[in-house]
Amino acid sequence: MPASDEALLATGIAKTYGATCALRDARLTLRRGRVHALLGENGAGKSTLVKILVGAVTPDAGRLDLDGAAAAFGSVTQAIHAGIVPIHQHLSLFPELSVHENLSAFALAGGSGLWAGWRLVDPSRARGWLAEVGLDVDLAAPLGTLSLGERQLVEVARALSLDCRVLVLDEPTAALNAGEADRLFAVVRRLCANGTAALFISHRFDEIEALADDVTVLRDGRTVIDAALIRRHSREELTHAMLGAGVEARPERLCARAEPVLVGRGFAGRRDASGGTDVTVHAGEIVGLAGLIGSGALTLAAWLAGAQAGAGELSVAGHGFIPGDRRRAAALGIAYVPADRHAEGLFARLSARRNVSVSALGHLARLGWLRASQEAERIDPLLRRLKLHPAQPEAEAATFSGGNQQKLLIARCLALPGLKAMVLLEPTRGVDVAARSVIHDAIREAAAAGLAVLVATSDLDELMVLAHRYLVVRDNRLAAELPQDAPRAALLSALSGSMAA
Amino acid sequence: MRIKRPPAVALVCLGLFLLCCLLVPRFATFGNIENVLRVAAILCIVACGQAIVIILGGIEFSFGASVALASVVTVTVLPTTGPIAGLAAGGACVIGIGAANGWLVGRMGLPPVIVTLGTLMMASGTAAWLVGGLPLDAPPSAAFSWPARGRVLGMPVSILAAMLACLALHLLLAHSRIGRLWYHVGANPLAARLAGIDVARITLLGYVVAGAFCAVGAIILTSRVASGQPALAPNLPFETIAACAIGGLPLSGGRGHVLQVVFGVLTVAMLNNAVVLINLPVAWQLVLLGLAVLASVGLQKDWAALKRLAGRTAR
Repeated sequence: MPASDEALLATGIAKTYGATCALRDARLTLRRGRVHALLGENGAGKSTLVKILVGAVTPDAGRLDLDGAAAAFGSVTQAIHAGIVPIHQHLSLFPELSVHENLSAFALAGGSGLWAGWRLVDPSRARGWLAEVGLDVDLAAPLGTLSLGERQLVEVARALSLDCRVLVLDEPTAALNAGEADRLFAVVRRLCANGTAALFISHRFDEIEALADDVTVLRDGRTVIDAALIRRHSREELTHAMLGAGVEARPERLCARAEPVLVGRGFAGRRDASGGTDVTVHAGEIVGLAGLIGSGALTLAAWLAGAQAGAGELSVAGHGFIPGDRRRAAALGIAYVPADRHAEGLFARLSARRNVSVSALGHLARLGWLRASQEAERIDPLLRRLKLHPAQPEAEAATFSGGNQQKLLIARCLALPGLKAMVLLEPTRGVDVAARSVIHDAIREAAAAGLAVLVATSDLDELMVLAHRYLVVRDNRLAAELPQDAPRAALLSALSGSMAA
Repeated sequence: MRIKRPPAVALVCLGLFLLCCLLVPRFATFGNIENVLRVAAILCIVACGQAIVIILGGIEFSFGASVALASVVTVTVLPTTGPIAGLAAGGACVIGIGAANGWLVGRMGLPPVIVTLGTLMMASGTAAWLVGGLPLDAPPSAAFSWPARGRVLGMPVSILAAMLACLALHLLLAHSRIGRLWYHVGANPLAARLAGIDVARITLLGYVVAGAFCAVGAIILTSRVASGQPALAPNLPFETIAACAIGGLPLSGGRGHVLQVVFGVLTVAMLNNAVVLINLPVAWQLVLLGLAVLASVGLQKDWAALKRLAGRTAR
């Protein structure tokens, strides 16, 4: 294909946040008149790359070319005025303002003086843009009175107020129903027919196959499939590219199944109210809960740990508890590692030891008073076992690397008095190889000691080395249960749903 | 949290003390120092309560109004109940307001700023309504004036009470289970919930204990002014917040040591005293206090944070 076809070319893009490397060497080629899908699991660097394209983040290294000329954006506004227009998953419109005022927002933001920009765009032009996206609404109507799908189209119409060269659609259908999504896709296709390039980010394969012409897949901050024709790749191939090649070490086979420990009945995801999902985890068993992002696997796991309210019945070792009653679940011996380490797990300002002992305070206190020596005696061996580095239990949790912070959360689980079950969400996301193997060993040891363990992760390699049994979640329900010796291909097709009825 | 080296505020406090000794006439006399400590005592007791709320990630604006309400209630019921029960009734009011704040913040999940502002106005209005807007004098009695004027082993009762309050706060923060959980809730309430902590209950108890500290301060202050005043200590919440901020407690919660509170309080008390001694208008107390808060919070930000901030605003 001739180079003049390229609307936007990004090469060698790298970006590091603190100790985590979000992008190492990413490449993206968007061609005029084509819709380009960007795929990648959580943490692959997709959102960082999008932020760099739309000017929200400055890359550490790499080069951006827009229509063959080098480009660098200091802000989102600069990128927009260069013709790269983002359509966000969280609508970036103003519900209290009229459609007309919303359509004028770019013109206003571009005004040079304090007052110079305070003019609405010509109504006939505004109507022209609305007509182009197939919307027939009153310009004076407050945006809040429109449906979500209509608002998304207003956002696209607003993109027309500029010389839009690249349209960036970041999960635009997340809040839309099927009809609204189809309407949006028709508009995108029409815009592309006029020479606009579109970048489309979605987790839904159906939509990607319906809309996109080309595809780029990111994994671990690198481009692993570069601007390929999408119809040349099957869903399994794409999923495989996203999740990575396998390590074939498998855990030891379980001889006999012990008694059930953690039992959940009647989980109902948001979209699927009818019929419930049942999950049972037995003593000594590691159940791998697999699901792509948005499949509901993490929600199901959180529900099992009592961290997520909802319908259904839960029990651990015969004692029932109410979904969402995390305190009772912990008291009954269910330890939990949430998916988002920083937001939900870590007490960044407190010491490493305190981060761990929080689950054991009931045992460390007598009549409400803590005994400091007991705390160190009980917690520090756990930290040594997990090879906390540096070995400074008094240091603030924020000063440790991601892998060592994750060790603290695992240690917190192990310190829970009366521990019977562990529910671990993405236990090694963003964790270095050494910490990962320490954490995996700790999980295996815990199961060998008779605990019921459920690991929910989008990392297929992790599942293959840990789980005794796989449960695959798709569309908020159990799609398949696979035995330990299931081949990788079977898992992949269950994950992507290509063989589902 | 164990403090291995003295908090930065200790040096500031010591520096200010030396400066005052050198430059402020009549500062370094026994009588004046005792006076500073007496003023600091009430501030210190209430600041201990404020520190708990700040460690929880909250803030208490209602302390001043609840102290005023306590004084009014005390003086109102005094003729029928006698001085001791009267003072206790005033203290109970303060604890009750703390409990209401804790319930609204912890159980209802309302923002602390709004909750304590609301109870501030309600307490203030109630106090004014009870006495018709005018201060009401208390009949003098020995028991009534003992908290403010009494001495135990030659030591003023108020200063002794402040020392006990600091000890109590230290035991709570460093050695009790509930105190430990305040740090967890303040550092990350969501993580605390997911770790199985009853965040609502811990928060409620924190505000109640904070109210109990403030109640002790209210009793001493009421005893000192010997009257019920609906506008008794309007700046008390701000002075206690300032003391905590100057001491280095981050208002985002999760951190704090009793020594930081003590040195913060002493700094505030010395500033106020110096303004009076060098014959500046009393209004300058607030101006200087505001400056001190801004300066100390600015200096406590480490350089990395300052640079990040500069980078962000530049972009």
